[in-house]
Amino acid sequence: MKRKLIAAIGIAGMMVSIAACGGDSGDDGKKAGADGYAGETLTVWVMDGSSPDQWQKDVAAAFEKKTKAKVKFEIQTWNGIQQKLTTALSEENPPDVFEIGNTQTPAYAKTGGLADLADLKSSIGTDWSESLNESAVFDGKQYAAPWFVVNRVVVYNKKVWADAGIKELPKTRDEFYADLKTIGDKTDAEPIYLPGQNWYHFVGLAIGEGAELVKKDGDKYVSNLADPKVAAAMETYKKFQALSKAPKDKDEATPQQGEVFAKGKTGAFIGMGWEAGIAIETNPAIEKDLGYFTIPGATAEKPEGVFLGGSNLAVAAGSKKQELAKEFLKVTLSDEFEGALAKANGVIPNKDSLQSNLKGNAAAEAAAPAAGGGGTTPLIPEWAAVENAPNPIKTYMTAVLNGKSTAEAAKQVEEEFNKRLSQQQ
Amino acid sequence: MTVQTERPPSGPADVRKADGGGSGGPRTRAASRAGALAPYLLLLPAVAASVLLLGWPLLKDVLLSFQNLNMAQLIQHVTEWNGVENYKETLTSEQFWRVTLRSILFTAANVALIMVLGTLIGLLLARLGRRMRFTLLIGLVLAWAMPVVAATTVYQWLFATRYGVVNWVLDKLGWHSMADYSWTSSQMSTFFVVTLLIVWMSIPFVAINLYAATTTIPGELYEAASLDGAGVWRSFTTVTMPFLRPFLYATTFLEIIWVFKAFVQVYTFNEGGPDRLTEILPVYAYVEGVGNQHYGMGAAIAVLTILILLGLTAYYLRIVLKQEEDEL
Amino acid sequence: MKRSLFGRVWPNATAVVLFIGFVFPVYWMFATALKPRGDILADNPVWFPTDITFEHFETATGADHFWTYVTNSLTVTVLAVVFSLIIALAGSFALARMRFKGRRGFIIGFMLAQMAPWEVMVIAMYMIVRDASMLNSLVPLTLFYMMMILPFTILTLRGFVAAVPKELEESAMVDGCTRAQAFRRVILPLLAPGLMSTSLFGFITAWNEFALVLVLNKDTEAKTLPLWLSSFQTQFGDDWGATMAASSLFAIPILILFVFLQRKAVSGLTAGAVKG
Repeated sequence: MKRKLIAAIGIAGMMVSIAACGGDSGDDGKKAGADGYAGETLTVWVMDGSSPDQWQKDVAAAFEKKTKAKVKFEIQTWNGIQQKLTTALSEENPPDVFEIGNTQTPAYAKTGGLADLADLKSSIGTDWSESLNESAVFDGKQYAAPWFVVNRVVVYNKKVWADAGIKELPKTRDEFYADLKTIGDKTDAEPIYLPGQNWYHFVGLAIGEGAELVKKDGDKYVSNLADPKVAAAMETYKKFQALSKAPKDKDEATPQQGEVFAKGKTGAFIGMGWEAGIAIETNPAIEKDLGYFTIPGATAEKPEGVFLGGSNLAVAAGSKKQELAKEFLKVTLSDEFEGALAKANGVIPNKDSLQSNLKGNAAAEAAAPAAGGGGTTPLIPEWAAVENAPNPIKTYMTAVLNGKSTAEAAKQVEEEFNKRLSQQQ
Repeated sequence: MTVQTERPPSGPADVRKADGGGSGGPRTRAASRAGALAPYLLLLPAVAASVLLLGWPLLKDVLLSFQNLNMAQLIQHVTEWNGVENYKETLTSEQFWRVTLRSILFTAANVALIMVLGTLIGLLLARLGRRMRFTLLIGLVLAWAMPVVAATTVYQWLFATRYGVVNWVLDKLGWHSMADYSWTSSQMSTFFVVTLLIVWMSIPFVAINLYAATTTIPGELYEAASLDGAGVWRSFTTVTMPFLRPFLYATTFLEIIWVFKAFVQVYTFNEGGPDRLTEILPVYAYVEGVGNQHYGMGAAIAVLTILILLGLTAYYLRIVLKQEEDEL
Repeated sequence: MKRSLFGRVWPNATAVVLFIGFVFPVYWMFATALKPRGDILADNPVWFPTDITFEHFETATGADHFWTYVTNSLTVTVLAVVFSLIIALAGSFALARMRFKGRRGFIIGFMLAQMAPWEVMVIAMYMIVRDASMLNSLVPLTLFYMMMILPFTILTLRGFVAAVPKELEESAMVDGCTRAQAFRRVILPLLAPGLMSTSLFGFITAWNEFALVLVLNKDTEAKTLPLWLSSFQTQFGDDWGATMAASSLFAIPILILFVFLQRKAVSGLTAGAVKG
């Protein structure tokens, strides 16, 4: 895990950034070809919730202005995305540009389904953050463009917390737990909505314990779920999950936890800043009660470990509109729109110089202190198979939550986990 | 929808002299030659469709099963033969045999329940008064007509952990630990709900057809039986059962096929979970092939699945084979 | 023979219990779809909806492209059923009425075809359609659905054709009809209930199909209702009112068709069988 690289994002840089950097990339596109794209439509797949409607509209307008071509955004859900993407990439008319999870990028890079973006990297990507770009590079080649990363925070309902009489936000894990207990005792709200399979949070907890879910055995990766540190992380998860009425065998997207939270009967949930946007969309009245804080760690000095989830933008190798697709990336990843996305969604943008956009975004400010201690799952092509349903990590979590010991559960899924990590490519 | 037995009701006499026969003469001979071709021409569209739309995918599937076909190969359209590697790996994996055994037990349990309960309800229908029979028929038809996807969704709601009506009833009946029970949390509870769903939606087919069949039993047979001094049970075993046997064979055959292939119910309800413990063969093939993007492996499992289904229905197919032989 | 009181009561009592058991899930689907949110998530179930609301149906039909899906589903299903009935009618006539070499082979062949586990072959089918550049089209979908129901249709219709007394056909031919005319004027009308009841099976199969359309048609314009229903469920999660409304909308056409056709089919079969 590349925690140390992520530290390069620099919390300091995040808060006191030099706004002058970056410059305006509005007119540096190739004007010569500007009329050549009239009448064409670019198909772009983006994941549900990762970019706001308004942002999409603005990007589409700017893109049309620049290239005369139209763009069609198609919203995808994470559930079953790999199956859909693999078949789509094999087709005559694949999506021209698509969002792809950072942990899934190496696998797709290896399949040959992603176009080489070396020229894009040298034209607009010279100052992409090293830490974000890492997942987009495979075997030394640039297969995608880094878009954003984000780590989870606690999204809480201020009204519920006030009703419970809590004045101060928790600084440690124990305080956090005690506060949730108080909410459970003093209000009729559910203290926290934490479904049994929010495995990204579990990965974060493991990182916080200084452990990884997999370890190297020779040149292969194998399950590390039996590690006592991982077990400790799972125990923490279990302790908090017990306060939730959320199903133990569902993840945070079924149903969208933001929608559950929107009903106003939930004290908190652990999610990304933009998930609060889902809540606001479902119930605009919730906005005034929304608050964010960093997930508290074992001690007040160090916040909880977090998973740095992120997305890259890739161009399909089979797309017949390679140039237009790259033009689209130039617009999307321009300082203007990359900054706008950071601002709207509170995600960490792909350049250090754009960090200033996060200023004043409550979710981003809550996320920042933990980002330095975050990490990802290993960026290897074999990883994508682990995320296919049924994900053995999720199976492990549900097993523990349903009463199995961590050791037993680890043993139970080990075979499946290892099989997937060594699956023939 | 009704089931027809393999023996056409009016018997073998029906099939004689299909092409008219009659007096000779050149014109008739030409006509009879055309007549000899007629059945093949009539069957041609059906055969052509089967070859093109079923035979071809099947052949393709067999070919895929000898390939190493994963994400990269699918995306780049490359063919990578790997011999019997997929079969070797599947047949030597403990999991495959576990799933096979589970599939067979699952099918057996469901089909047994469906056939026994369906037959009993069919016989009950024959016994009921007109109004009551009509009422029950309506109930059966409604359950039968529910589309699988909708029915599975409804069962998820009935058995929902929170606010599910089943948990509420169990709680009120004094089984308080069931108040917040998650039916998807264990292998047995998942199978329980899936079985209930399948049995619920399959019984009507058996019951209604069986009832329809009983109405065709000539009353004289019963009279004759009672003249011979047969009691209720005797006349059931000597008259009703022999008459219904072909119907029962045919419906059992169909139910075995349908239950064995019950992909939607199992997959939609719990995706073969928890911990892959409720995967039956079609679900296993899907999870390994499409889900895990190991398409060649999935194809091999699919081929094995077809062979196992053939094995399960071989007995019936042999009966049909013999019967049709008798008829010709 | 007089039956005892017990003998008269238990069949009716059992029938009532069974009726409730079979109808309840269907009833609960409609009831939930019509209840206001508060009544759905009530600590004690509201057995009979009193405040009826159509809000959930509005949510369900308000989903993007709903009517496109309805049109697609209807098109594909109706065409698949009609084609398979036409093809099957010809084939089943040959199988039931004619004597020829290989007849048994054909019958066994169709019985085997009936066993095809379509769900596990989706990737093979996908690759064929993909390589023929026919993705996101209703044509391959219609053809495959037709094939899924064809074997059952042939085998079932064969029974119905055989049940039509041969003498009727012969007397029509004596009256000067050609064989084709005899078929059209005498057999076809008698087959009507058979055709209807057989089409039910086809209708329900094609209407339900999910696994194939999921991989073949990714374009919104080419999707069908089962995809809508399943995505609806993921999207709305625990909004059971909307989910049940969607399920109801999905089930209604089939329910109507069944209730309407089933009576005819059963009575047709019974009448035919008794006469024959």
